[in-house]
Amino acid sequence: MSDDAPSRNGGDPPAPDSDGRWSQYRQRLIRLGQTSVGERILIAVSALLLSIVVGTVIVTAAGLMATCRSPVLTFGSTTLCYDPFYVFNRLFLGALGDPFAGGWSPLNAQFAATLRETTILVFTGLSVALAFRAGIFNIGTQGQLIIGALAAALTVLWAGSLVSGTVALVLFIPLGLLAGAVGGGLYGAIPGALKAYADANEVITTIMLNFVAVRVTLYLVRNHFADPTSQATQTRTLPVEGQFPSILFDPRTDFSLLALLIALVFVGGVYYLLEHTAFGYDLRTAGIQPAAAEYGGVDSARTILTSLTLSGALGGIGGAVFVMMTLGKFQTGIPSYGFDGITVSILAGNNPIGAVFAALLFGVLKSGSNVVAFATNVPPQLVGVLRGLIILFVAMPEFFRIIGRRLATREPDSPATATAGGGADD
Amino acid sequence: MEQAVHLDGITKRFPGVVANDDVDLAVEKGTVHALLGENGAGKTTLMNVLYGLYQPTEGTVNVHGKTQQFDSPRDAIDEGVGMIHQHFMLVDPMTVTENITLGNEPRKWLGLTVDSEQSRKQVRELSERYGFDVDPDARIEDVGVGVQQRVEILKALYRGADVLILDEPTAVLTPQEVEDLFRVLDELTDQGKTIIFITHKLGEAMEAADEITVLREGKNVGTVPADDITREELAEMMVGREVLLDLDRDPAEPGRSILDVEDLVVEDDRGVRAVDGISLEVRAGEVLGIAGVDGNGQSELVEAITGLQMPDEGTITYDDVDRTTDSRRERIEAGLAYIPEDRQERGLVMDFELVENGLLGSQHAADYTSKGRIDWNYTRDHAEEIIEEYDVRPPDANAHAKSLSGGNQQKFVVGREFARDPRLVVASHPTRGVDVGSMEFIHDQINALREAGRAVLLISSNLDEVQSLSDRLAVVYEGEIVDIVDPERVTEEQLGLLMAGQQPDAVPTIAADGEGHR
Repeated sequence: MSDDAPSRNGGDPPAPDSDGRWSQYRQRLIRLGQTSVGERILIAVSALLLSIVVGTVIVTAAGLMATCRSPVLTFGSTTLCYDPFYVFNRLFLGALGDPFAGGWSPLNAQFAATLRETTILVFTGLSVALAFRAGIFNIGTQGQLIIGALAAALTVLWAGSLVSGTVALVLFIPLGLLAGAVGGGLYGAIPGALKAYADANEVITTIMLNFVAVRVTLYLVRNHFADPTSQATQTRTLPVEGQFPSILFDPRTDFSLLALLIALVFVGGVYYLLEHTAFGYDLRTAGIQPAAAEYGGVDSARTILTSLTLSGALGGIGGAVFVMMTLGKFQTGIPSYGFDGITVSILAGNNPIGAVFAALLFGVLKSGSNVVAFATNVPPQLVGVLRGLIILFVAMPEFFRIIGRRLATREPDSPATATAGGGADD
Repeated sequence: MEQAVHLDGITKRFPGVVANDDVDLAVEKGTVHALLGENGAGKTTLMNVLYGLYQPTEGTVNVHGKTQQFDSPRDAIDEGVGMIHQHFMLVDPMTVTENITLGNEPRKWLGLTVDSEQSRKQVRELSERYGFDVDPDARIEDVGVGVQQRVEILKALYRGADVLILDEPTAVLTPQEVEDLFRVLDELTDQGKTIIFITHKLGEAMEAADEITVLREGKNVGTVPADDITREELAEMMVGREVLLDLDRDPAEPGRSILDVEDLVVEDDRGVRAVDGISLEVRAGEVLGIAGVDGNGQSELVEAITGLQMPDEGTITYDDVDRTTDSRRERIEAGLAYIPEDRQERGLVMDFELVENGLLGSQHAADYTSKGRIDWNYTRDHAEEIIEEYDVRPPDANAHAKSLSGGNQQKFVVGREFARDPRLVVASHPTRGVDVGSMEFIHDQINALREAGRAVLLISSNLDEVQSLSDRLAVVYEGEIVDIVDPERVTEEQLGLLMAGQQPDAVPTIAADGEGHR
């Protein structure tokens, strides 16, 4: 990052008092708020490298403190139990299936696991990002995903009891996705309507509806749709026509290129919606400056309701994909894809295209963690620390950028806030 | 005479902009010095340098004959330089005394508590010494804007200011309050204080100042004694070319009624009747002006007419169609253009580029959007047309709204709204913060709309503006129309009294149906 704290004084700058230092920080934050896309990517990559450096220190320290039977290095009485380079090697290269080793194929099982996570995170990231752009903090993607997952599973199971064969092959996947979208969409519409017409804070309502979703699906599956042959709380297995075909990849990987392709189509769709449609314009305006949106004839209640419904639908489709690609059935205890979607969206700066890359980073970390656990004796908690560290480092510049943008619009002497009566000299 | 302030060769650069370019400014002790210029001329920047908010890129600041290095306003205050900003920084529920002494209260009991007796005494002495009529125990929320301004001045004096900078001090005042302010300034200079006031109003500079320095495009164009210069000469110095200050125009030929408001009542957030039974009519080909001190229901009236706030009682009719409950979008589609009071809150999306801002309000119109898809090429052309026609600077459709100066933002909003080809225009402070050259242009556009048979409702606290543009002038006070007068025959004094809620004698009233108008 360039250090362009303004050197305003012709002569020697005086020792900055606390005010002066704060104004320097403020200038830097504002500068950060104005970074271009290229600079932001550079910052993200630097942050990633820096987090690896810090992570290396932590792994080394932990390795010195731990006791183990076969240390990596021994200096006299001191032993190093974990090799930090090998940990990061496994975390990243392992997640991709060792691209630099001989005979690498992109179709390997570990890379498939990475992409499997990525696919679902793209949907939840999009879900959160869409709501964010409308100025709505949707914490309920997890609940919408769960409802969408159950809706998709039940719909496909029901359809499977009616038809099979070619019709089913063509119909079941679109049907399942549609059911997921409707289920998640309706579940997103509830906090949407509450916010739009009763002014209820969406953060509270969406968080609470997450709990409701978990309990309701648990009740429904346990009492009405349980698989009688299983001890677990789950539905029967979907008919094969209702499961995503694993194109090119090994079927045992539970990953489907088709699902990833559909995710990318939705990325394009959300981008188009936001940037090229009148509705997207309404949504962005309402998100960024509600008073101006109202002035411009945007119906704020309708925009809130529609955006949360669409956001819920995206989460619901994520759930449908999880059911039809990964699990093959609905099972309680769905991983926290919805919550991870919040981080994905922040990492991506709420940009739908950025969400693909943020989801990929998340996918790598998730599947890489498993590789680390398998290949080393590093405790999973420490791997969790490394993951958290990487996400924190990559997300923080984005977070400070948002603060910088806020500061820039609030800067008391900038042209932006000079108001009535002609104080706008710049 | 002694120089109180001497700015020597001040240059202030911002990334990509030179706000002040080698400006010299010498202000004699005990005088009123006006700093006159268009928006973006660099007046406020220059004063922020003097007040320590900015550090100059080049040049030196001298106060009382000593070179100073102000790193923050606190340093400037320590050297006796005080600034009164356009927006007052007062704590509403606290008393005048508490506000004045805030942060510098006299202490008692080893500094453990505030000596409020002492504070009150000091404030009363200070206020009497300069002939200020201020009650030290009144609460800020209970006193008028003029008094609040005097409290701000007292606050600066209490902190030991010898040099007072006032940024656009008259923007929020009635004509009577402006008179009072100028009297206060005289009293201050008589007692040896030095005043620098920033303005873009020629008349005020000539009336109140001893000397006038004109800034244009960041440069000092010249310093002249206020007594031997004409308005026309000053205007030419400001703009750099000859300016027509008076409008010539034909009398109105009002046609049918376009806007009809009947018995309108609008309550504000606290349930107070901000608009209390207003009825008015605007006809095709006329400008109805609304004059009044800010905060007498104008904002609520405008929001009800333009569809931003639903009225509590009464009806609003456009073109004989009842639109009382229509949404904002339906009203835009019915041919309403609206220049909002607050361009940065409502009129523009600050984080959007001008291209996107040009679309605001038209995003569902068939010209710009078909089947929900925005035609960005057409939208860009539209924004570029506005930029060119209204001379928006910088002329870059990709510039973000927040990067423009206030005057240029306003020009863009005005351009966008007038480009709708509206039947009804509601213009709320259309030239607020706009320089003389652009003001002339915007006034011409309003006249052109009037001549093209459009109906214009003009709300402004600038009396010159409402008087010169309106065909009929309604004065509002506390949510009611006090009177509708002939703007050409009413005097400024009569207007001032009407704006204060009084009914002076021999006011040239016009009946609401336009009878009695030539």
